[in-house]
Amino acid sequence: MENKLKTIFATSLDISENLVTDDLRYAEIPQWDSVAHMALVAAIEEGFDIMIDTEDVIDMSSFEKAKQIVTKYL
Amino acid sequence: MLLTGKNAVITGCLRGIGKKTLETFAEQGANVWACAQHADEEFEKYCAELALRTGTWIKPIYFDFTNTDDIKAGLKAIVSDKQPVDVLVNVAGFTKDAIFHMTSMEQLKLIFEVNYFSQILITQYITKLMMRQKRGSVINIASISGIDGSHGQLAYSSSKAALIGATRTISRELAQHGIRVNAIAPGVIDTDMNAVVPANIIAGHVKGMSIQRMGGSSEVANAILFLASDLSSYMTGQIIRVDGGMK
Repeated sequence: MENKLKTIFATSLDISENLVTDDLRYAEIPQWDSVAHMALVAAIEEGFDIMIDTEDVIDMSSFEKAKQIVTKYL
Repeated sequence: MLLTGKNAVITGCLRGIGKKTLETFAEQGANVWACAQHADEEFEKYCAELALRTGTWIKPIYFDFTNTDDIKAGLKAIVSDKQPVDVLVNVAGFTKDAIFHMTSMEQLKLIFEVNYFSQILITQYITKLMMRQKRGSVINIASISGIDGSHGQLAYSSSKAALIGATRTISRELAQHGIRVNAIAPGVIDTDMNAVVPANIIAGHVKGMSIQRMGGSSEVANAILFLASDLSSYMTGQIIRVDGGMK
């Protein structure tokens, strides 16, 4: 799951996979703004065939948090 | 037919404007997830007959609009069908009239729960699907009382005013994803909701209209159909009054 999620992050945010670490946080890189966040959520939902609740969309503030949230839905 | 091959989610389908919209959409070729507050055998029979008559599929979905978990379960049932969602019509709503100083906070919160918060939750979920498709049309059923105010309807009129504000804001955010968001503000329409209003009150409203009669739910459904179809492809963020020309 983690590798797949890492690839989704890298593709969606158009960044190198090397940058996708647990410390990668929303709004701390220019590529991850609110518009990109929704595209990222869509990519994660499609990639894992899940539907993420709004509260979790808001909570998904880092790659580490994203891993926890996706795990919850699998 | 204006909606051939399109799939629509419509709430409030048990009666009134929602039911008429369901019928109109199916007759115009749309498949529909017909959402209602509670399971109803007559309604299931109606949906089956309508689907057969129009050659569409109509799937009743039930959820309690005051229960977030119930709403999410209903929406997940729609998502699990893995079909595109082209149109969302938020019709569900109710009123419990009382003068301002006799409107309790509890009543106000309940009406906002059904008329506003649940619509926002549903719209958040469904438009996420529409964003993947890069297309969609959302139609919110507001009310003229949300624009003009209405004696004895603080909770209802302010919940509809909130929905109008949301329509305008969401339309600005979702246009970039190919999603249009508009609202219809019906006037005095001949439905169950107005059946309990005293005749003299209705007469007073009608007297103030250019078209001197109550509107029919089919007349509101036709306006909804227009906003759902590609005929309104350059319209978003609009609040369309369907009110017989009320002054």
